Amino acid sequence: MSELFAAALFVFVLVTAVTTALLRDVLAVVVVFAAYSLGMALFYAFLLAPDVAMTEAAIGAGVTTLLLLLTLTKTNRTRPDRWIEGVDLPALAVFAALLIVLVVTLLNSIPAVGDPGAAWNNPGVTQYYIENAYDDTGVENAVTAVLAGYRGFDTFGEAVVVFAAGISSLIVLRQVVFTRE
Amino acid sequence: MSDATGGDETGVENWRVSPDTNGRSAYVESQIIMTTVQVVTPFSLTYGLFLMFHGADSPGGSFQGGAVMAATVLMIAFAFGVAPTRDWLRNRTVVALAAGGVAAFAAVGLVPVLFGDSFLAHPRFESVFGIDTKWGLEAIEVAGVAPIVAGVLVGLFFLIAAGMNPDDQTPEARTDGGGHDPERADEGTDTETVSGGDRP
Repeated sequence: MSELFAAALFVFVLVTAVTTALLRDVLAVVVVFAAYSLGMALFYAFLLAPDVAMTEAAIGAGVTTLLLLLTLTKTNRTRPDRWIEGVDLPALAVFAALLIVLVVTLLNSIPAVGDPGAAWNNPGVTQYYIENAYDDTGVENAVTAVLAGYRGFDTFGEAVVVFAAGISSLIVLRQVVFTRE
Repeated sequence: MSDATGGDETGVENWRVSPDTNGRSAYVESQIIMTTVQVVTPFSLTYGLFLMFHGADSPGGSFQGGAVMAATVLMIAFAFGVAPTRDWLRNRTVVALAAGGVAAFAAVGLVPVLFGDSFLAHPRFESVFGIDTKWGLEAIEVAGVAPIVAGVLVGLFFLIAAGMNPDDQTPEARTDGGGHDPERADEGTDTETVSGGDRP
């Protein structure tokens, strides 16, 4: 049952991704891209990463779509001469051949979901977090323990980047935006 | 959502959807959207707060919580109009949230430095003040990351949404100092904002 769900989800994500690349009308692209983000959020939840799934659903499917739609209403949407982007067949053939070679050679080395012996599983680090996160920090969500505790300095850098980017945008476009203050 | 993109219900001729080209606002008042948002808002705001405060012990966290709370404000703005929402939640508030978040994050991180430990060394709280290490993490999550994310997202939204009403584009045209709230949108937002802007 869960394999069936994963397969259906995979097809959905693949179709929406290709559709996003092929459609010419920008509004349609934004809408399909939101559906793609929602599919990816479900995928993350299915792969037992609920923290990432929530972020993808809120930011990818929600806020980004809203910001893109708002931007569209402020620009002129040109009438597309056709609905589907033209595809360069020789380029597609080369890309497909490359993809097939990559998949055939690399598919076996991709670890199974949840495989404890997988290559990414660095026991020296991962296992330490899993075993000691609660005793060290007292929080039950190991993701939070890593983000706010062990790697708090990285999180501080990320937070400052988000802050700096937001404030820079506000300053650059302040003539248009600032209400009376 | 189809409100913001116009064109489709008015036919293909009206392809240019920019409000200044066809002379009508992208905001369309809808009883259905306003009622739905009124029902959903308390739950989504509570969910955002839950994610933020309970992120240490369950999936979620302050980033997700801040994003959900910002999305709640975005929903209110879409239902009741961007201008009244922006008047209600001023730029000063939004910028103060983001800047205060960075300051709080840095302040919490610097406390252990005062006692000769490294930046963000939470266990120092336990040895010096007897506060559990957990509360150091909670402090930077709740006071640091969540306000930054919520402030920046709402700020970006207001930034991009500025000029949705043709009269919004010149800040000096809107000089009244009255504190609006989203509920005023019930009386017809666009005319409200325009007439409010003309008042000296």
